[in-house]
Amino acid sequence: MIVDKQENTLDITRNSEELLKIENLSVEYRASGAVAKAVNGMNLTIHQGEALGIVGESGAGKTTTALSIMNLLPDRVGFVTSGEIYFHGKPMSSMKEKELNEIRGKNISMVFANPLTALNPLYTVGHQIAMSIIEHENISKNEAEKRAEKLLEMVGIAPYRAKNFPHEFSGGMRQRVGIAAALACSPELLLADEPTTALDVTIQAQILELMKNLQKEYSTALVMITHNLGIIAELCQTVAVMYGGRVVEYGSVEEVFTNPKHFYTYGLLHAIPNLSGPRNRLESIPGLVANAQNLPDGCKFHPRCAHCTERCKKEEPLLMKVSENHYAACWEMEG
Amino acid sequence: MQDNMKKQEPLIKIENLVKYFDVGNGKKLHAVDGINLDIMPNETVGLVGESGCGKSTVGNVVIRLLEATGGHVYFDGTDVVNANKKQMKEIRKKMQIVFQDPYASLNPRESVETILKDPYQIHKIAKGQELKDRVAEMAATVGLEPYVLEKFPHELDGGKRQLTGIARALALDPKFIICDEPVSALDVSVQATIINLLIDMQQKRGLSYLFISHDLSVVRHISNRVAVMYLGQIVELAETDEIFSNTLHPYSIALLSAVPRVDFSNKNKRIVLEGDVPSPVDPAPGCRFAPRCFMTKDICHAENPELREVCPGHCVRCHCWEESQQKAADYQGK
Repeated sequence: MIVDKQENTLDITRNSEELLKIENLSVEYRASGAVAKAVNGMNLTIHQGEALGIVGESGAGKTTTALSIMNLLPDRVGFVTSGEIYFHGKPMSSMKEKELNEIRGKNISMVFANPLTALNPLYTVGHQIAMSIIEHENISKNEAEKRAEKLLEMVGIAPYRAKNFPHEFSGGMRQRVGIAAALACSPELLLADEPTTALDVTIQAQILELMKNLQKEYSTALVMITHNLGIIAELCQTVAVMYGGRVVEYGSVEEVFTNPKHFYTYGLLHAIPNLSGPRNRLESIPGLVANAQNLPDGCKFHPRCAHCTERCKKEEPLLMKVSENHYAACWEMEG
Repeated sequence: MQDNMKKQEPLIKIENLVKYFDVGNGKKLHAVDGINLDIMPNETVGLVGESGCGKSTVGNVVIRLLEATGGHVYFDGTDVVNANKKQMKEIRKKMQIVFQDPYASLNPRESVETILKDPYQIHKIAKGQELKDRVAEMAATVGLEPYVLEKFPHELDGGKRQLTGIARALALDPKFIICDEPVSALDVSVQATIINLLIDMQQKRGLSYLFISHDLSVVRHISNRVAVMYLGQIVELAETDEIFSNTLHPYSIALLSAVPRVDFSNKNKRIVLEGDVPSPVDPAPGCRFAPRCFMTKDICHAENPELREVCPGHCVRCHCWEESQQKAADYQGK
């Protein structure tokens, strides 16, 4: 199986309709008196058919953002403190649980990082996929199970294996099952949270090709959450770089990765070793990822930034336009 | 520098190393199946492969955390596999290991200072004030601030934990360190710090590394030579620039093409291998990669090829290596 590596365009985002809009979202985790501000004033728009990458290090708020969209924040621990998420222009906070259940799994579905914990060990994979179809559509159990087999075939698993339990599959195949389940009701938006982190590179390549093909074929919008810049470069058209719970740089993947304007994005790109070209010394980013329990004033990145000024310590920059396809939140962009 | 290396005696000589695990019913899992590898003084050899290919087992057998089923590992002329307890204690001073998960490899009930004291105390090298000084010096060498010494592993972030693990490995001034996925659990910005430290330490102290990793770009960055493993065997071995520019084994070619890159000029198509890595339990005869290979011939299913030196310093275990690049190019061009 051979597939093209790159087909990046931004046209798709310009011409298509807004699907999901995150506006000024803030999320806190509270436990035994401690407060962690995981997401702080996040803004992001996802268009129909768009493949958007969210990149950042651990603790940047990537997963929390995805969980907020799905309304899956841990009960009594995770709280949305401000902001709103609109799905097709309708605020999701105003929706009742029943309405949310309709959307979850049908219109928006999610693929998780660890495919073994995301699947129920007590049911066969065919049954699990069929359950989500029955939940959302008025079809018989028999038909649903047939559809489950078709879905498994689509992700490259022989239909007879629908009768197997999750533990009978390898890691890569479990993740395919997870993807098949997520695609069961042809969602408009697929959230993939580090779907290949637990997998080997050759298996990762299989999953990425699969997601790329499905996205093209069904024009599903995709939000790819990962710390791997290479995956985003190959799979996505747009990218949002997150740091300290907000987007610090946003734009077309090629533009942001070849001409980064935020020093954090620049740092990330220069901290990873290359597979070709000269082997220069790696530039590490000094200090630690911003602590969500004790975020600095001003720009969240300023304690680690070599170009920090007095203004950066006091005022937090918002996303500013660099070009048509490129936005960055940095006071020192020109330098 | 390369000429010098060839004249020198290897520091580590791994000879036909074999490690089988019994999995019941008389079946054997061939984790490591006949590895030959020399590591020169001041050299870094990268060992890459996917999970289950036996790369970590090689590391564990070399430092004898696992007993070998067969073969030899010579360290400075002493056979590690057959060394007695007393010899082993001496060897472990010179040979250390850094693990992937620094949290699991540090005692949670000991402070960093106590952890770093251990090597000096076990080998009765220092005590009292001298011990304290040496621990402080060691911590400073790897870039740990003095306050970290009082902390416990759970109070540290992943990067500082891994620095503690490295400081402990460096404490006795070893000649050889096995790095078993030392940066896999870390964020990219922290990963760069650790890689730079390992390179600096090598230059300052003339260390040799066996660098085990699944991350090809990290291995390329740090290694002088690279060995690619598949199902318990080395399938390709060459100097780093050679193996990345003139890749010959079909598995190595596929592995390299599978890595997603931030490189918009690279329009190469990707080779996607079908299926999973087969089970290493009682492997079938023939080339181990044949079931997933994109260019198999009849002989590949009948006979497992030997690791042959096909050009100076470049060894490949493949019947069809001469055609592999052309085949891969045709395949990618389709």
